[in-house]
Amino acid sequence: MYVLIILVALAVLARLYMRFTGIKRRGQQLKPALPAARAAKTEPPKHKTIFTVWTFAKISLRRYFRDRVALFFTVAFPLIFLLIFGSLSKGSDISFHIGLINDSHTAFSQKFVNQTKTSKSFKVDNTVSTLAQAKAKMSRSEIDATILLPPSFGAVKSGHPTGQAVVYYDQNNAQAAQTLQSVLEGQFQGINSKLVKTPVPFSVAAKSTNTQGLSKLDYTVSGLLGFSILGLGVFGPANYFPQMKKQGVLRRLHITPLRVWEFFISSVLSNALIGLFSIAIMLAVAAGLFGFHMVGNYFELAVFIVLGILTIFGIGLAVGGWAKNENQSAPLTNIISFPMMFLSGTFFPRYAMPQWLQHISAYLPLTPIIDGVRMIATEGEHLTQIGPQIGLTLLWAVVIYAVAFRVFRWE
Amino acid sequence: MAVSDVVVVEKLRKSYDDKDVVRGISFSVKAGEIFGILGPNGAGKTTTLEMVETLREIDGGKAKVNGIDVAKDPQAVRYAIGVQTQSTAFMDKVRLTELLEQQAAAYGERVNPTELLSDVNLKDKADSFIENLSGGQKQRFSIAAALVHKPTVFFMDEPTTGLDPQARRDLWELVQKINNHGKGTTIILTTHYMEEAEQLCDRVAIMDEGEIVAMDTPANLIQKLLGKGFKKARQVEQANLEDVFIDLTGKELER
Repeated sequence: MYVLIILVALAVLARLYMRFTGIKRRGQQLKPALPAARAAKTEPPKHKTIFTVWTFAKISLRRYFRDRVALFFTVAFPLIFLLIFGSLSKGSDISFHIGLINDSHTAFSQKFVNQTKTSKSFKVDNTVSTLAQAKAKMSRSEIDATILLPPSFGAVKSGHPTGQAVVYYDQNNAQAAQTLQSVLEGQFQGINSKLVKTPVPFSVAAKSTNTQGLSKLDYTVSGLLGFSILGLGVFGPANYFPQMKKQGVLRRLHITPLRVWEFFISSVLSNALIGLFSIAIMLAVAAGLFGFHMVGNYFELAVFIVLGILTIFGIGLAVGGWAKNENQSAPLTNIISFPMMFLSGTFFPRYAMPQWLQHISAYLPLTPIIDGVRMIATEGEHLTQIGPQIGLTLLWAVVIYAVAFRVFRWE
Repeated sequence: MAVSDVVVVEKLRKSYDDKDVVRGISFSVKAGEIFGILGPNGAGKTTTLEMVETLREIDGGKAKVNGIDVAKDPQAVRYAIGVQTQSTAFMDKVRLTELLEQQAAAYGERVNPTELLSDVNLKDKADSFIENLSGGQKQRFSIAAALVHKPTVFFMDEPTTGLDPQARRDLWELVQKINNHGKGTTIILTTHYMEEAEQLCDRVAIMDEGEIVAMDTPANLIQKLLGKGFKKARQVEQANLEDVFIDLTGKELER
């Protein structure tokens, strides 16, 4: 079903793309060009600045759709990451890779093994049948722990089956073993209460607070959107601005009355539209292939993403606008973007970092953007509820553009 | 300053790292003139133009275009001038019509790109990208782009460098068409081809090491030289190899 929707959407996009870029289908006649009639006087535009900015943005958008390399890096490249990380987190329900050694031949132990193998909490490694094999695998962290059912497991004593399962674990995986132990204890308690009726004075009831809990994928998607914004906003302009300087494109514009801020706005505009296009495709693929559920409002998400693109693109403008050539821009780009790429939560969730690092990385420009995207998309929050994220992003935008204007050079 | 002077340069100076590149030169260009600045490489031709074009800061002296001081109001000057840029200064994968639309939009103007292209004989290339044009076509296109806003003065920096003789002659014709016998656009160009200066320019200034060493009409400059008793070492033939080449490869456009 989803595949069908994606195919239809792609067909529509392709058609729109052809109209926009003017690629002709075979057999289709192009409309005859306008006669160069001098009588056809062109009206001067009413709002000059808007006209200027929009014309520049429009033409660079058209150029973008004709540029296969740019399309690859803005659409295909983030999609590849999504496919990799999406596939990795698809099996996120399975929390433990375990070995299961059954030395017992009782009916109960067989039932227990079957149950464990079909359980969602465990992924049983079927190649493990001896403790030695299990130890080797555990030392390589291929499996987290091993459950051993001794020969006496499940033997019937005083009317019901009894026994003790043993959990083996490697020193470096003590935490996993502890969790596994408590999971097993919980299971056994359930079995025990069925076998022996005893009153339970205290119990714990677990209730989910979030209607749709965050899966690993939901974290991944917002992180990858951030990665996409970073690539589009920093690596793109830091690369093509120096190139335009080398070719003299910016020099030509410098001779015209075009102002720096008009040029900036048109660049931001086209970049934002390209970003929305690329992110829309990513979200569609994430929803279609990996069951990503968008909880929040699409419009609010779009507004926030545009703010994010605007901010991050400013970094690219500053670097590319300052650099005289690629040799200057390339190292600077890496110095600026690598910390964000690894610490802002693009590939690794920030909650997994040590506390002190979380405190620092919280203030990187990309962090509030990724957080905000996640809060809207997967937690269903509204723009009014993510004030701190919007505020920090805006603050960065002001700082970044102040620098970008100051260091910009046409040549 | 005469009323008809479109460009006035007075004691213009520029230095880079204590090296004087332009040393207080003065000249003025009348409306409708084709004015040439000649000189060897490093004479300061390009720097002089760039100061008048608002691209370089003026270290000393004054430059005025249409009576507007370049240093005081560069933005106003930009509307009055057109500058032919390198042919690489246009982005690839953008149609010629779109490039012209964009160039005009920089001036806040809407134009009819097809019409502008037919002025430079590129109408049938309207949907092409710049990277698919020949050297001469690129050069003609960059002229069309520089004139989208109908400037009063048109600056050309070594317009025919790197062109083959045929394309060079086509370009000369185009320059004359734009100037329209002094009724059209005023043109200031630099070149190091003497033949080009003789063909096109009403007046030339010869620059050397940042100074103007002579300024007059080409004919007068030659007369002055002959007046000093100059004789060429060898008799010049009535035709040269270039004439043979053009005779064999075809006539120029629109003759």
